[in-house]
Amino acid sequence: MKKHIKLIIAAAVAVSSVVSVPAFAKQTVKVGMSGNYVPFTFSSKDVLQGFEIDLWNEIALRSDYDVKFVLSSFSGLFGMLEAGHIDTISNQITITPARSEQYAFTTPYVVDGVQIVTKKGREDISSVADLKGKKVAVNLGSNFEETLRALDPKQEIDIITYDTGFVQDVVIGRTDAFIMDRVGSAALIKKSGLPLKLAGKPFETIENAMPFLKKPEQLAIRDTVNAALLSMGNDGTLAKISIKWLGSDVTQ
Amino acid sequence: MQMPLDVQYIIELLPILLKYLSVTMEMAILGFCFAIILAVILAIVRVFKLPVLHNFAGLFISFFRGTPLLVQLFLLYYGLPQVMPIFAGVDAFSAAIIGLSLHFSAYMAESIRAAIMGVNKSQMEACLSIGMTRLQAMRRIILPQATRVATPSLMNYFIDMIKSTSLAFTLGVAEIMAKAQMEASSSFKYFESFLAVALIYWAVIEIFSRLQHYLEIRMNRAY
Repeated sequence: MKKHIKLIIAAAVAVSSVVSVPAFAKQTVKVGMSGNYVPFTFSSKDVLQGFEIDLWNEIALRSDYDVKFVLSSFSGLFGMLEAGHIDTISNQITITPARSEQYAFTTPYVVDGVQIVTKKGREDISSVADLKGKKVAVNLGSNFEETLRALDPKQEIDIITYDTGFVQDVVIGRTDAFIMDRVGSAALIKKSGLPLKLAGKPFETIENAMPFLKKPEQLAIRDTVNAALLSMGNDGTLAKISIKWLGSDVTQ
Repeated sequence: MQMPLDVQYIIELLPILLKYLSVTMEMAILGFCFAIILAVILAIVRVFKLPVLHNFAGLFISFFRGTPLLVQLFLLYYGLPQVMPIFAGVDAFSAAIIGLSLHFSAYMAESIRAAIMGVNKSQMEACLSIGMTRLQAMRRIILPQATRVATPSLMNYFIDMIKSTSLAFTLGVAEIMAKAQMEASSSFKYFESFLAVALIYWAVIEIFSRLQHYLEIRMNRAY
């Protein structure tokens, strides 16, 4: 009988220790990203790396979160956020009025401009007006599509949305230009060595941040991330990460 | 093209991609197992024309054959959690397996049904005449023969399923196609990356085609 009681106590202790573990464990934050956006989030030789990765590793240190990166094609990321598969998206998401209505953003961590990129040697495109009648690539689900359509009320630009591979199509010449953020475009051209160039000046200021659902537990994470971003901005960590990946500080 | 084929890059990429082959194969094999179970049930329901269930099976097959797999995967993974929050707990890997098995079970049910119908009706009558129930006759006499007939087309679906797992990347499953796409977009060697992944699919499917060949020889021994 004694043996039995001992066993029961042992079992109870074992069960209670197992049950109580999650209370002490770190909260896991699931961060969605495309994994194919050089130099922000990309995989080379099977190592996931980039600006966003360094940023979140630092946020994890300062907030005591466990960060789990969830990779999906860019167009699927907002669906995953809505469905609750991820807590936020870290993929240079630009703050737009429509998105702000639906999501609670962190403070912006990258300030950038919208840029036209063409193949090297093309002199006929240097502004949005030059894009009339041209084939212009944008990433499916990105805000650049909206931006461009707003500037093209008569629908004279042949806008093509891509899920992947639009850079290559401009290099091949199937498409005349693509629209992306200036920082990302410059970094991409530098890193890839592809025959591309920035065409003209950036035509709109954009601020990038991370969106969260407007739910209490998500907003709590957002606030913690904001605090971490603020302290990283103050002690120069944010600028350091920016210079490491982009060659300049684009976080102000 | 601005550069010649970089063979060295392909050789370096192959072992990286192969690490993720297990994810692809797990999805295909698990998906196929569930699909077969579901397909056999659907086929029997259809052959016996069980009331109500028969209509439901018909609707199921009609829907899952009549809509693209990609649409079904999106509905399952992005759509359902919005109406039924409990589905948010289903991870991408499981959602891909569920989607693949539902989709392929619809096709497989039809070829299993055809294989069952192909077994001579008089055999069922013979079974019933010696006192077997219809289900017993099915299990002991009809299904073993139908299996032989259905095997080639089921193997065909399995091969198709292996290739269809590449759609799971759209749900965020890190399988070989996802890896190839990511490596391509950081190295800009699209041709090499997709060629490498194509070679892996081809090799794997070649192995299963051989297997199918031996399986058929083995099953046809009695004939």
